[in-house]
Amino acid sequence: MAALEVVAAFALPGWVGPLIVLAAVLTTAAAARRLRGLATISLAASPLVGSILLVNLFLLPGAADPIARLGPIGPTWSGLWFGLQTVARLMAFSLAIGLVYLTTAVDDLLADLARRGVGRRAIFVVGAAVQMVPSTIGRAGEIVDAQRSRGMDTEGPIWRRARGVLPLAGPVVFGALTEVEERTMALEARAFSAPGRQTLLRVPADPASHRVTRWAAILAIAVIVLARASGRLG
Amino acid sequence: MNVPLIELEAVSFTYPDGPTAVIDVTLRIEPGETVVIIGQNGSGKSTLVRHLNGLLRPGSGRVLLDGHDIHSVHVAALAARVGLAFQNPDRQLFAGRVASEVGFGPRNLGVRGAELEARVAAALEDVGLAAEAETNPYDLGLSRRKLLALASVLAMRTPVLVLDEPTTGQDARGVARVRAVVASAAQEGRTVIAISHDMRFAAECFGRVVVMRAGKVALDGSPAAIFAQAAWPELRAAYLEPPLPAVVGAGLGLGSTPTAAALVAALPGPAGEGRGRPPGRAGNE
Repeated sequence: MAALEVVAAFALPGWVGPLIVLAAVLTTAAAARRLRGLATISLAASPLVGSILLVNLFLLPGAADPIARLGPIGPTWSGLWFGLQTVARLMAFSLAIGLVYLTTAVDDLLADLARRGVGRRAIFVVGAAVQMVPSTIGRAGEIVDAQRSRGMDTEGPIWRRARGVLPLAGPVVFGALTEVEERTMALEARAFSAPGRQTLLRVPADPASHRVTRWAAILAIAVIVLARASGRLG
Repeated sequence: MNVPLIELEAVSFTYPDGPTAVIDVTLRIEPGETVVIIGQNGSGKSTLVRHLNGLLRPGSGRVLLDGHDIHSVHVAALAARVGLAFQNPDRQLFAGRVASEVGFGPRNLGVRGAELEARVAAALEDVGLAAEAETNPYDLGLSRRKLLALASVLAMRTPVLVLDEPTTGQDARGVARVRAVVASAAQEGRTVIAISHDMRFAAECFGRVVVMRAGKVALDGSPAAIFAQAAWPELRAAYLEPPLPAVVGAGLGLGSTPTAAALVAALPGPAGEGRGRPPGRAGNE
């Protein structure tokens, strides 16, 4: 479904695509009680949203319908409109992907991949990538605490906070690399590369309703892509 | 009535989307006291000490430093008074040289020049890493990286020193260094607060033991009182075992002997000085 939403957000013309996707994402998130998580993702995206709006508002090429005049440059209506539409696409895309993270149990995802015969190395890469996000967030929080305890200012002016980039980024990156190395060795120690097919501890449920939804989403992606490629969506 | 250096008044804390980690904890810690907090994993020890330098703010209750509520004081400002050494050194080391790593905290506090160099040299000397000043921190083993993290907080020369499990992962030489650091800081009149699972370290190096269980203070007293046989049921309810000398002393009917020195002193005979001393008076040494 997330793949369909991402494709729809970019392939459907004008406001239709992003607004349909945003409505679908928000409805699903409300049903899954994940609106707070989406609010956090929106907050994280706010610097990017702000910069997109500003750039388009003042610098959209060919825009000639000024809202006001501020010296040599001025905000334009078409820049504002295009900026808002771009932001809507960006948020539809980000929130659709974010909702996958917020609602997908990693164990279920990996078990399902294994059931479908995906190789164990590919499953490890997917699992490590997905699990790295929360573990890196947790590690980063502890690193921030440790450096603040040594007097690093994370609450002062921006130029003072900028000095904290290396003390924060260094342990995060080094810790992530170390963790991957340790996890790889721990897997090898438990016969990760042993020949033969792995058995499954459990098989996740895949009811008919899920299968129908999945195939409908794949079909819809194909239809949208073909319609877009043939110029029928404008 | 004297104002304590640190006072926690009915402090409670709940993590967002998580459990209540600290429940209604009240503690007074006087200047120069050495306090060790013990308890099973998840009993709220680390959460509690993170209130002392403002990393966590109480959900209810107050934390006072020198009689002043620290609720609105920035962590960077509190770092000049309360130094907190974290359990995992790899969550803080970033510099390319051991000396730069140790200088990070004092530089943040505005220390410069000869004073900075002197502090770095002294802290490295205290933990036995003076010869490694130019080494990359990640070329040191875990035990010495822990000592480096400790040195980086020692160099800040804060009146309060908080150590989160300083002996965990240390070899015997590392533990001896940590014990020496605690003794030296106490001798200088600094307040030392540690979290530990090492009962021997707790009994031998600290004047006061606080036992935490399920977010609350279950016991609070001297090592002799906390490791006395009468307190064992409470200790065991917190999944803790008294140190071996306390068990041996109790088995021999010598009273509370939380340390090997106290046990030897309480033993009747040529090795001990306790000939004729009534049981239960050996105390902490």
